[in-house]
Amino acid sequence: MPKTEMTYIDAIRSGLDHLLKDHKDVVVYGQDVGAFGGAFKATLGLQEKYGTDRVFDTPISESAILGSAIGMAMQGLRPIVEVQFVDFITTAFHQILNNAGTTYYRTKIPVPMTVRAPCGGGFGGGPFHSEELENFFCHIPGIKVVYPAYPSDARGLLYSAVLDPNPVIFLENKFLYRRIKEFILPKGEAVPIGVAQIRRTGNDAVILTYGAMVHESLHAAEQISAEGFEVMVVDLRTLKPYDIDAILSAVAATNRVMVVHEAWKTGGFGAELAALVAEHAFHLLDAPIVRITAPDCPVPFSPELERVYRPSVEKISEALLDLINY
Amino acid sequence: MNSQATKKIKTNTSVNIWLRILKTMFLGRLTEERLVRLYHQGKIFGGVYTGIGQEAIGAVSAHIGTPDDLYAPAIRNVTVHLGRGTKVLDVFRQYLGRVTGPTRGRDGNVHYGEMDKGVFAMVSHMGAMLSVLVGGVMARRRLGKSTMGFAYIGDGASSTGDFHEALNFASVFDVPILFMIENNHYAYSTPKEFQYRCQSLVEKACGYGMEGLEVDGNDVIKLYDQIKIILEKIRKNNRPVLLVCDTMRMRGHGEHDDASYVPKELLLKYKEKDPIHLLKKHLLNNDFACEQDLKKLEKECLDEINQSYKKALSEPMPSPDDLLEGVYAED
Ligand SMILES: Cc1ncc(C[n+]2csc(CCOP(=O)(O)OP(=O)(O)O)c2C)c(N)n1
Ligand SMILES: [Mg+2]
Repeated sequence: MPKTEMTYIDAIRSGLDHLLKDHKDVVVYGQDVGAFGGAFKATLGLQEKYGTDRVFDTPISESAILGSAIGMAMQGLRPIVEVQFVDFITTAFHQILNNAGTTYYRTKIPVPMTVRAPCGGGFGGGPFHSEELENFFCHIPGIKVVYPAYPSDARGLLYSAVLDPNPVIFLENKFLYRRIKEFILPKGEAVPIGVAQIRRTGNDAVILTYGAMVHESLHAAEQISAEGFEVMVVDLRTLKPYDIDAILSAVAATNRVMVVHEAWKTGGFGAELAALVAEHAFHLLDAPIVRITAPDCPVPFSPELERVYRPSVEKISEALLDLINY
Repeated sequence: MNSQATKKIKTNTSVNIWLRILKTMFLGRLTEERLVRLYHQGKIFGGVYTGIGQEAIGAVSAHIGTPDDLYAPAIRNVTVHLGRGTKVLDVFRQYLGRVTGPTRGRDGNVHYGEMDKGVFAMVSHMGAMLSVLVGGVMARRRLGKSTMGFAYIGDGASSTGDFHEALNFASVFDVPILFMIENNHYAYSTPKEFQYRCQSLVEKACGYGMEGLEVDGNDVIKLYDQIKIILEKIRKNNRPVLLVCDTMRMRGHGEHDDASYVPKELLLKYKEKDPIHLLKKHLLNNDFACEQDLKKLEKECLDEINQSYKKALSEPMPSPDDLLEGVYAED
């Protein structure tokens, strides 16, 4: 089978297309996802192909979008809903926390719903179009959270998310949508939820990361490779349930740990990872764990501010040298 | 000498306010036309969202309020800001992320508002500002002021839960607010038929036990007269009112969107009803102004805009060192 080059957003569209084709119980809906093809064109052409019954626009009613998806999922459909920006999911947060998160535990009725939500900044979106909210979801029992960094993972994890019997928050990174390309098969395979991927090997330190920061971390690792240090980069891919084994073996192989994410520091996912390592691998550490994250302030609009807000290659490589030379 | 100049210019009590409204609309239109150019020249980080074609609603309501009143404008309401006294210069600073701007570069484009002018700075989340305005008006009235509120919502935003909660809340607590839905036929790409199924959004008023009315949102003269009557009632009865204004979004949702999904005929129909054109025609046909006066007014506005955007471009961005300044208020 010949491989074709796909961007991250192409891969998501391709995944949705295959899911709609192969599974009659899949429906796709959200704001502007119909004829318009979505704010980021993830659903372009799908309404034309599968009809307005299966791919459709909704009013601006996030709570009803999420709530109805939960209801459909409880009745055996596999809804995939798009929230235009993850920032707007907050107006439906209680549906995720209270309905999606508890239904199976309370009633034994599965909720196979997938919520797609574009995240992240780096393009002047300001405080309400750039947020990274993954840890709000990771805190909720009963919810799975995935966050791919590559086209093949975006599509492969989408397959797994949609076929999973649980509610899955499928986080996408807007900065990667058109920047990251890969040659992939026309259909490809599912990528299992809960399995991390080593993106780069090395023994001097490990970076635990996900989403857009996988790419910044890889660049930083390349940079300091020129100085003779080899850094492992682990792309978590799934944040809940995260791959404990992969993380702990990476720590054992490197003894120095850095966590990088684009979300805020306090109570961020890096805090969870640092706690895990401290709990289970304290004896393996040669240096304190380092967290490179966004600072605790709203996402600023002005490019001068956003430049220092977002973790950068420079910041990561500088901190890596400090970590290695600790 | 042109015959216009020799015509006797008439006046009535409303002419001054009409002219002020016209000036605000000129400023809004020309500012946004400049922003569109700056966007396409790659000088603006992020997006540009204009209210071109919808200037009347904001301009009329901004000029009709008192200094104590409160406003919660939305995406299309540059004329609310300008009508309440925000400087064109500050609009450019805001879009250009300058430290001198109303949000000091921390936020961009439409997310600004100057509290000393009674204007809340919106967040993006549709409907979220409505209950904030309700609380603001309640607070000012407790302090003994005769404040009322002006709220602006899109047809799309009327589908949010926040819209419902805020209108019901305002009604239960007798909070005098004019809730204006600017029905511009689209919410991003979604036409109004996919947003609601009542005949008119005005029907929603009845569910909240408030009065609801419909107006032509592009005709300044009618809009002004109608809002004036409604406000007298609101202030007298201390009750909220829902006003549905028919208008049209004349450009894309933002400048990144060519809006090819909007039928050309619809745009043509509303081009005929351009609010600036209608008001100018009214003033000229009734000899309330002459051509030269209006040209002069427009030119003054354009000059201010040209100076302002150049000045804003020359001003500094915020310093990266100040990233964490102002996350918390200090005593
Ligand atoms: C809660 C929420 N969901 C989604 C969005 C994304 N969004 C921004 S503007 C817009 C359309 C708004 O339409 P309407 O309310 O009719 O206002 P208009 O743009 O027509 O003035 C959407 C969907 C948002 N800002 N807030
Ligand atoms: Mg609209």
